[in-house]
Amino acid sequence: MASCWWPWRWRRGCSWRPAARSPGPNSAGRAALYAPRAAAVAAAATVAVARAQMSYCNLMKSLTSAFRNMYGVSRFHHTTPVACCFSETLSGEKYTDPFKIGWRDLKGLYEDIRKELFISTAELREMSEYHFDGKGKAFRPIIVVLMARACNIHHSNARNVQASQRAIALIAEMIHTASLVHDDIIDDASSRRGKHTVNKIWGEKKAVLAGDLILSAASIALARIGNTTVISILTQVIEDLVRGEFLQLGSKENENERFAHYLEKTFKKTASLIANSCKAVSVLGCPDPAVHEIAYQYGKNVGIAFQLIDDVLDFTSCSEQMGKPTSADLKLGLATGPVLFACQQFPEMNAMIMRRFGSPGDVDRALQYVLQSDGVQQTTYLAQRYCHKAVSEISKLRPSPERDALIQLSEMVLTRDK
Amino acid sequence: MSLRQLLLRLPRYLGASGPLRGPLDTISSVISCRGQSSRSPAQWNQVVSEAEKIVGYPTSFMSLRCLLSDELCNIAMQVRKLVGTQHPLLTTVRGLIHDRQNNLQLRGLVVLLISKAAGPNSVNASCQNYDMVSGIYSCQRSLAEITELIHTALLVHRGIVNLNELQSSDGPLKDMQFGNKIAILSGDFLLANACNGLALLQNTKVVELLASALMDLVQGVYYENSTLAKENRITDDIGISTWKEQTFLSHGALLAKSCQAAMELAKHDAEVQDMAFQYGKHMAMSHKINSDLLPFIKEKTGDSLTFNLNSAPVVLHQEFLGRDLWIKQIREAQEKGRLDYAKLRETIKAGKGVTSAIDLCRYHGNKALEALESFPPSEARTALENIVFAMTRFS
Repeated sequence: MASCWWPWRWRRGCSWRPAARSPGPNSAGRAALYAPRAAAVAAAATVAVARAQMSYCNLMKSLTSAFRNMYGVSRFHHTTPVACCFSETLSGEKYTDPFKIGWRDLKGLYEDIRKELFISTAELREMSEYHFDGKGKAFRPIIVVLMARACNIHHSNARNVQASQRAIALIAEMIHTASLVHDDIIDDASSRRGKHTVNKIWGEKKAVLAGDLILSAASIALARIGNTTVISILTQVIEDLVRGEFLQLGSKENENERFAHYLEKTFKKTASLIANSCKAVSVLGCPDPAVHEIAYQYGKNVGIAFQLIDDVLDFTSCSEQMGKPTSADLKLGLATGPVLFACQQFPEMNAMIMRRFGSPGDVDRALQYVLQSDGVQQTTYLAQRYCHKAVSEISKLRPSPERDALIQLSEMVLTRDK
Repeated sequence: MSLRQLLLRLPRYLGASGPLRGPLDTISSVISCRGQSSRSPAQWNQVVSEAEKIVGYPTSFMSLRCLLSDELCNIAMQVRKLVGTQHPLLTTVRGLIHDRQNNLQLRGLVVLLISKAAGPNSVNASCQNYDMVSGIYSCQRSLAEITELIHTALLVHRGIVNLNELQSSDGPLKDMQFGNKIAILSGDFLLANACNGLALLQNTKVVELLASALMDLVQGVYYENSTLAKENRITDDIGISTWKEQTFLSHGALLAKSCQAAMELAKHDAEVQDMAFQYGKHMAMSHKINSDLLPFIKEKTGDSLTFNLNSAPVVLHQEFLGRDLWIKQIREAQEKGRLDYAKLRETIKAGKGVTSAIDLCRYHGNKALEALESFPPSEARTALENIVFAMTRFS
C-alpha cells in the first residue's frame, strides 16, 4: 500500500532543510523543492525555538499570520493551497464550498441519528446523543454524500441521492462516534470538541455502554438498508477500528518497521472508515467495480492524509483552536509522523520512542526535537502525496460539481487548521 | 497448538490474585451460578452433556475461538499484566475459562438444540445448498457462536470500573486504568468478530435481529449496573413488572432473538420463529430466577453468601411488604453500616418472596414448555425440555 511513500526514497528527491542548518551527510547535493517558503519558515521556527524567547503558542501564531497561505486561515476563504500542486480545480470552475454542497443532502443529519438512538432508558439515551449535537465537523458524512452524487452522475447522470446512500452517511458518523467514545475512555481524555468527554461526566462504566449502544444502533440501520454487500463492507470497518487500537497498544522496535506500523495503524483507525463508506455508496449507486475501486482509493488516500495532517496539527496548533490540547499524542506515548521523521535526523529520540515518552521531560524534549527537525514538513509533504493520489483517482469519474467538490475537499484537508 | 491446549495455559497466567472486593463477589457469583441447578450439580451436568452429544460437540469455549490468532497472544499478555491487581476483568476471564461447571455456554447450546429441534424446512427448498452436520446447518452453528460472542463481550464490558470511585484498597490507579483499557478493547474485539460473523451469514433480517438484541442487552446491563447494590445502599423501588422488563433486556432478549434468528436462517415461517422466540425468552427468565434463588435455597450456610438486593425473591418480598417496611428490615439488618446478609436472608425467607419467586420460575418454565409443543418430538426437543426441568426443580 505505501511502498512508494517510504521516507528514505523520496527524501532523496527533495529536501525541506532550511539553509540555516549546517549540512549533514544526507543533504549534500540535494535539490530543494518548494524550498524558499518552507525553508524560510522552518529556519525561522528553528531559530526562534532555539532561542526559546517566545512561548511556543505565540511563536506559532506569529508564524501563521506571517505565512497565511501556508497554514491556511479558514477553510472558507483560502484561495490557493500553497506548497502543493493544485492551484485551480481540474474543471476550471470557480471555487465553491464543498461543505455547502454536501450539507444540502445532510439537513437533519443529527436529528435522524438521534431517532436511531431513541430508547426508553433516559440517561443512556442522553449519553449516546451527547456528541450528536451538531457541533462536529461531519467531515465523513459530507464525503459520503458527495461521493454518492459523483458516482450516481458518473453511472447514469442521475442527479439525486438514494435514501440508502444517505443512510450510509449516518452510519459512518455513528460508527465514528462510537469509536471516539471508547477511545476517550482508553486515553482517559477529559475533553473533546470543546466540551467534556462522556467518561468524565458519567463515568467509565456507563460510557462504555453508550459506545456499545451507538454501535448497535448503527448496525440496525445498516441491516435495514437490506444489502448484504454493504453490510460486509462496513463491518470490516468495525474490525479495522479495533485492530487499529491494538496496533497502537503495541510498538515496533525496528525503525523501518515503525513507519509501516504507523501507516497501517493510520489506515485502520482513520482511513478504513472513509474508504469503505465511499465504497459502500458507490456499490449502492453504480454496478461497475472499477467505480467502487475509485471510490475506495479516494477515501483511503484522503483518510490517510487527513490523519497525517491531524498528527501535524498536534505539534503546530494551540489548544484554543482544536477541541483538545496539543502534544496529546506524545503524552499518550504515541510516535506519529513528525516524530518518526525527526528520529531519522536525531537518533537519540529512539530511546524516548521505545519507552513511549514515559520519563519526565521526555514530552518536552521530543517536542523540541520535532520542531528543530523537518518532521512536520516531511509529514505534510507525505500528506500532499496522498491527496494527489486521491485527486488523480477521483478525476477518473465523469465531471460534476460533486466530483470537483471532492477534489477541493482533499485540498482543504491539507490546509485546515483545526 | 490446539485451541484447548492454548486455553488451558491461560489459567496458569491467572493463577494467583488478591482478594475480591464486595461488589465483585456479586458479579462472580452471578457468573459462577450460571448453569447450576438448585440441588444437584451432577444432574445438571448430565442434562448438559446429553445435550452436547445431540448437537455434535462440546460447546464450551465457543466464543473464545476467534481469539485463536495473534490477538490472543496480545490479549493474554495484557491480561497477564493484571494479575495481582483488583481489576474485575481478571475475574471475568477466570470465570470464562475455569472448570466446565462454571463455564457452561448455555446460549450457544440452546441455539444449536432449537435449530436441530426445528429441523430443515420441508416446504422451502432454498436451503438445499447449505451443509448440515448432526442436523444443524453450518450457518446456525455460526449463529450460536455469534450469540456467545455478544454475550461474552458485554460480560467483559460489565467489568469496567469507574475511576473516580476507587478507594485506596483497590490498588494503584494505573492498574485500574490499564485494566479498563484491556477490557474495552477485548470487548470491542469480540463485538467486531460478532459483526463479521453476522455479515458472513448474508441475511439482513438476522443481522437486524441480533443488532437489536445487542441494543437490548446494553440497556439491560445499564440497569444492572445502576442497581448493583453496594453493601449499605438502599435498593431501587422497582416492582416485579419493571424487574421483568429489565431482566428481559439483560437476560432474555439475546437468547430469544437468537433462537428466532436460527429459525430465520433455516427459512422457517413466522409462527415457528415466534415459538422459538418464546422458548428462548421464557427459558432465559426462568434461568435468571433460578440463579437468583440459589442463595435462598441452598442448605449449606457457613460463609455469608451475599446476594443481589435487586434479585427476584427480594423484589417480590419488597412488593409484598411495601417499601417502608422493607427499608426498616434493611436497617435492622445493618450493623455499623455493614449489611448482615445472613440475617436479611432469614428475614426474606420468612416472608413470601422466595415461594412466589419459585412460582414465577415455574410459570416461565411452563411457558417455555408450551412453546416447545409446536416442535416435532425429537432428541433435541427432549433435551430442551430437560433443561427447563432442571431450571425449575427446587425439591
